[in-house]
Amino acid sequence: MLAFDRVSKVYDTFASGSRYALRDVTFATSMGRTIAIVGRSGSGKSTLLHLAAGIDVPTTGSVGLFGRPLERESETARTRLRRDAVGLVFQFFYLLPHLSLHDNVALPALIAGERGAAVDARIRQLLARVGLEDRARDPVQHLSGGEMQRVAIARALLRRPRLLLADEPTGNLDDANGRAVMDLLLALVAEEGTTLLYVTHSREFAALADETWEIHSGVLDTG
Amino acid sequence: MCDRRRAPACRVAFAAMVVTALPADSQTPSWQPADSAYVWSFPRDHWSHAGYQTEWWYLTGHLTPVGDTAPRFGYQFTFFRVGLLPSGPELQSTWAASDLIMGHAALTDRRTGQHRFSELVYRATPLLGAFHPFPDTLLAWSRGPPGTGERWTLTWNGAAFNVAMRDTRARTGFALTTRPAKPLVFQGPNGFSRKGHGPTAASQYYSFTRLATRGTVVVDGDTLPVEGTSWMDKEFGSNQLGAGQVGWDWFSLHLDDGRELMLYVLRDSTGGVDYGRGTVVAGSGTVRFLTPADWTIDVRARWRSDATGAVYPARWRVRVPSAGLELDLEPVVANQENVSRLIADLAYWEGAVVVRDGRGAVIGRGYIELTGYAVLGRLPL
Amino acid sequence: MIRYLVRVVAANLRRAPSLYLLTIVGVALGVASVLTVQILNQSALAAFTGSVQAVSGEADLSVLGRTPTLPDSLYPAVLADPDVAGAWALSRTSVTLADRPDYFLDAVGVDFFAPIRIPFVTSRTGGPAVGATLANPAAVLATPGWTAVSPELATELDLAVGDTFTVTSGVRRARLKVGALVDFRRLTPLAGTRLIVLDLAQAQALLGEPGRIHQIDVRAVAGTELDALAGRLRETLGPGVDVLSPEQRTQRAEGLLAAFRLNLTALSLISVFVGLFLVYSATQASLVRRRAEFGLLRSLGATPRQVFAVIAVEVALLGALGVALGLPLGYWAARVNVEVVSATLTNLYLLDAIERLYVPRALFALAAAIGIGGAVAGALLPALDMSRRDTKTLLAAFTLHERLGSAALPLAGSGAALLAATGLWYVVGGHDWRGAGFVLAIALLAALPLGTPLLVQRLAALVRITDFGWRYSLRSLGVRLQTTAFAIAALGIAVSMLVGITLMIGSFRRTLEVWVNSSLRADVYITTPSWRGRSTEATLDSALAAALAALPGVRAVDRLRGFPGYTGERRIALAGVEMGIPYDDSHLPLLAGERTSALAAVHERGAVLISEPLARKTGLGLGDSLPLSVPTGERRFVVAGVYYDYSSEGGTVILSLPTLNAAFGAGPVNSIALYLAPGADAEATVDAIRARYPDTPLLLRSNRTLRAEVFTIFEQTFAITRMLQGMALLIAVTGITLTLLVLAHERLSELALYRALGAGTRQVFGIFVAEGIGMGALGLVLGGAGGMLLAAILILVINRAYFGWTIQVSVPLAALAWQAASLLAAAVAASLYPAFRASRTTAAELARDDV
Repeated sequence: MLAFDRVSKVYDTFASGSRYALRDVTFATSMGRTIAIVGRSGSGKSTLLHLAAGIDVPTTGSVGLFGRPLERESETARTRLRRDAVGLVFQFFYLLPHLSLHDNVALPALIAGERGAAVDARIRQLLARVGLEDRARDPVQHLSGGEMQRVAIARALLRRPRLLLADEPTGNLDDANGRAVMDLLLALVAEEGTTLLYVTHSREFAALADETWEIHSGVLDTG
Repeated sequence: MCDRRRAPACRVAFAAMVVTALPADSQTPSWQPADSAYVWSFPRDHWSHAGYQTEWWYLTGHLTPVGDTAPRFGYQFTFFRVGLLPSGPELQSTWAASDLIMGHAALTDRRTGQHRFSELVYRATPLLGAFHPFPDTLLAWSRGPPGTGERWTLTWNGAAFNVAMRDTRARTGFALTTRPAKPLVFQGPNGFSRKGHGPTAASQYYSFTRLATRGTVVVDGDTLPVEGTSWMDKEFGSNQLGAGQVGWDWFSLHLDDGRELMLYVLRDSTGGVDYGRGTVVAGSGTVRFLTPADWTIDVRARWRSDATGAVYPARWRVRVPSAGLELDLEPVVANQENVSRLIADLAYWEGAVVVRDGRGAVIGRGYIELTGYAVLGRLPL
Repeated sequence: MIRYLVRVVAANLRRAPSLYLLTIVGVALGVASVLTVQILNQSALAAFTGSVQAVSGEADLSVLGRTPTLPDSLYPAVLADPDVAGAWALSRTSVTLADRPDYFLDAVGVDFFAPIRIPFVTSRTGGPAVGATLANPAAVLATPGWTAVSPELATELDLAVGDTFTVTSGVRRARLKVGALVDFRRLTPLAGTRLIVLDLAQAQALLGEPGRIHQIDVRAVAGTELDALAGRLRETLGPGVDVLSPEQRTQRAEGLLAAFRLNLTALSLISVFVGLFLVYSATQASLVRRRAEFGLLRSLGATPRQVFAVIAVEVALLGALGVALGLPLGYWAARVNVEVVSATLTNLYLLDAIERLYVPRALFALAAAIGIGGAVAGALLPALDMSRRDTKTLLAAFTLHERLGSAALPLAGSGAALLAATGLWYVVGGHDWRGAGFVLAIALLAALPLGTPLLVQRLAALVRITDFGWRYSLRSLGVRLQTTAFAIAALGIAVSMLVGITLMIGSFRRTLEVWVNSSLRADVYITTPSWRGRSTEATLDSALAAALAALPGVRAVDRLRGFPGYTGERRIALAGVEMGIPYDDSHLPLLAGERTSALAAVHERGAVLISEPLARKTGLGLGDSLPLSVPTGERRFVVAGVYYDYSSEGGTVILSLPTLNAAFGAGPVNSIALYLAPGADAEATVDAIRARYPDTPLLLRSNRTLRAEVFTIFEQTFAITRMLQGMALLIAVTGITLTLLVLAHERLSELALYRALGAGTRQVFGIFVAEGIGMGALGLVLGGAGGMLLAAILILVINRAYFGWTIQVSVPLAALAWQAASLLAAAVAASLYPAFRASRTTAAELARDDV
């Protein structure tokens, strides 16, 4: 469902000329798998996620999502694909401080123009699942980091994406909270049948996935 | 209409242009020239003569305060009629006028050495001043200068000319009755007084050469009864100086022997005599006319005016051999210059003089008028 | 730091020209508003001063009539005073060109033979003005119609010396002949070019009356106590005259214009106020964009004070640029509007028309100070805010201005307290003071922005987010208070002004319509072209008046004779009326008194009616006695009624024509109103009269035409007001653009998140446009409320206090709706560019912060 075929991404930098963020990456995932990618800062893992989400396009090679080569799709088409089929979880949560828990979770639906009882029920269900149903109307500002990431996960899963991409989801949490979030995330994708690709620098959390890949200096090792 | 900052005295006046520029005009109906065959009619001719461009009544004299032994004051009183139009403009207005009335008066005080000049210019309208028709005893009048409530007047009551002037600001004034002591004298044959070589360069001119005078003089708030002797000139005509003439010297002298002498000299630009005439009036009233060949005038001293920078003759020796006269003339006060504040560049010397014989004894008194000496000097007509 | 500043300004100008440009525009518009109004104010006064100086430049005092003309017999009396060094009698007549009845000349009659200086010039282009003389001075009297004109006028009318032109005064025609050129600007730079000079005798004969003059100028002896001299002259000359110094005359004109000028100045200051908001927004926009830069400066050791200085100097520079743009803009706007203002001066205030703009240097300095000072003041808050923030916040990505959020309630509270206190003050005693209305208005305009944050916050909180559309936008506005509240407040103020003034003008116009309907009842109005200049001089001779009354189809005739007069020291318009219709048929709208009996008292018992402004300003009412200056002194008249009048803020008095003539001396009437028999056609009658008197300069107007003219004058009067409204609104709408640009930068990460979550560029674009509309709508709500209050203050307080007339409140719904729609459209237009910028945000912006 997500397939990289000889994908390279080159950034032109002012200081050092062209720099390979990804070099000749090839892989494919199948439905419902969980995959962890381990790598240090600057190894190219975020670039990989951006390409997978259609936020960016490869310099060479092809990124196939659900069988569609993203590099041939328009920006609008990629945005629509992302909206409908990809969920994103970020290291810094990216919750909007002026919205309530409920509204933050609802944001993808709002953007997609979905509303109604079904959406509300789904939000309630997800908030209950992440253990925050009582605080649905609270502002998010006063949540703890772990709670924020749980809200973000609920937001990412709202529209039942087939692919969930998580960029260092525990990177901003302490170990206990990180573990709890990781457990919740894995449990949820298992329940929803969602494919999960997550980036982490923690070997411990990486080990929780079905597969663990490593990335070094833009080169992916899927073995 | 004029900006004080730029023109401190604001006297760049229209009257000046009127006075000097009128003859150049060709549009206005023509003025009547003087005529040797003019038919005189008295007393009618004491009144004004519309149709002639200029006319004046000129009184000068020496006055002695009652109780004093020697004359203390010299005075000048003049009304000029400046013709604007030979006949009045057809305008429905209280400001319609065919003449300007200009008054000049001066009082010279030998005791203080002061010479006070006072002047006025108004258009002749019932509001401001007028030349009245015969036989109104009031020949002419005008409002006083600004700041003065009293009028200036000139009357002829059949026996005497009365003049009155007042200038509140100059703290001066006089009211005099002048009664002819000798008969009227024509200056020139039939009162036709030539001023140049041209056929019309002339005016109609007569004088009362000796008038017994009494009245009052006001100086700085004191009113003094006075008596004395005056000279009265009346002249009208339509011509001014000829092209080559720059000014004139005019002498009117009362001699203690009962005679009067009048001389005028029109100067050319070199200071030489362009034209001149004179008259000797005997004690009996008999008149003899003079030409420049009959006299000589030597200027013995000059005086420079601080006000205008003009240099005027200041002592004269006049010889008229045919009349047996050799006279030294000496101003009673050096500064008797009249500087107009109303009319730009108008300055002339008009002053009282004493007449001495060759040995220095006073043998008469008189008045002298000197025009055209100031650098930009214009002439009082 | 300065070197840093220079580089940074240059760099930022290249990087973000739009923000700098908008700051500059904000300052420029504010400066332009003030400058325009001040130039027009100054020019109005200068036109008057110029004519005073040109004609009476040398005078220490002027003797002026309290009645239209003076007898010239007063002149010798003036001359006789011992402290008078010189005096000149003058006549002043407003004449029109016969072939251009709307072209007025001020014909001054002088005594050319008095010692006065006339600045003659020898050619249109120059030549001496000092010492130039006339070749033939007697021509000023001898040549019929001899007149001296300015070189400019000669050029404009293509006249050379010797040419003739025809003017009219009342029904009189006079053929004038250019006798000389005279350039009064050589004497005073303020002098107008439409001054023509002729001899007093010619002026009396051709344009005036024998024995009558208008003015005597007096020069005092040096060192004279002028007050004493003036007092003595007043005593000597009797009660019919005023003796005033040029300064006092100018002060009188200033007094006449005070209300007019004050109103314009107040309006222009509102523009500056709104401009301040714009500068605030722009500065904030620029600073937000450069937040990281300041964070870096701080982390490198720059003190908050240094950061503040960098910002302040930078903004001052921008202010200077704004001033540079605003000065020509203001001058241009003044030029464009000078004609309508000039028309107002002549129509409503009977003062000299503005012929040229007068711009004292000090005005430029004032405008510059306002521009630069305003820019720095507007930047103060954001600069302080920015300089005081700690380094970490400056470098952080997601920030929210919380301070204003929590301050919203206290701010609103202080606003409400301010309003309450001012209201209380007004009720308790403030209403006695004339300027109270302005205090109320200022309090209102100050309270409005104070209440804005709370309003925005509460309204936004009310909204339930059910879609990613306008509701979502509105909610966003509520949380970005520090940015949005200012723009909304600025817009609110501008809209208040718009709505307040629209309501005022609309009400005024409606009131005027009602008044005109009842006041203008005749079918044909006849006067002369002079009416539009100095109406006193629009004189109809009695034979003509009688002939017109006898025309077929004429049922009845009203005659009116009017001129300015005085009650005490107040200059008013006097109207002597002879009514041709029964009292019962009159529709004169009375505020106090019963119409039929009041008219009977006026026409049969010598009573008077006074206008509402006069009643308000003098406190006189029914049964009181009104003192009027008459040539013999003062006479008192019983007030039989107070009528509504909107023709003169100074006040008008109606007497019967015989009463007027008895009190002031007989004189010709100025206008005649014809009532036609049923079925007769007014326009046809007008044509018939025109055909019958082809050579008489008549101004003929049917009822319809006159009404149209009334409203033209009305619109002229408010043209400048409308322009200022427009400027304030333009500034405010620009504020929307700025605010949205700020938001686009502040919310970069947020927008990137939307994009990451699948929002399309159109959606982001839509969100921003909706925010623009939201701001517009909030501004409308605020401004609508503020505007109604402002209108109430304008109509009920300021107008009554300064103009003294009752305006019936009427809501011009269509105009307001149209304005609201245009405002929203403008808000949309203003948000397009920021929305476009915002929509180009990519999801990758989010990642950049992560790296």
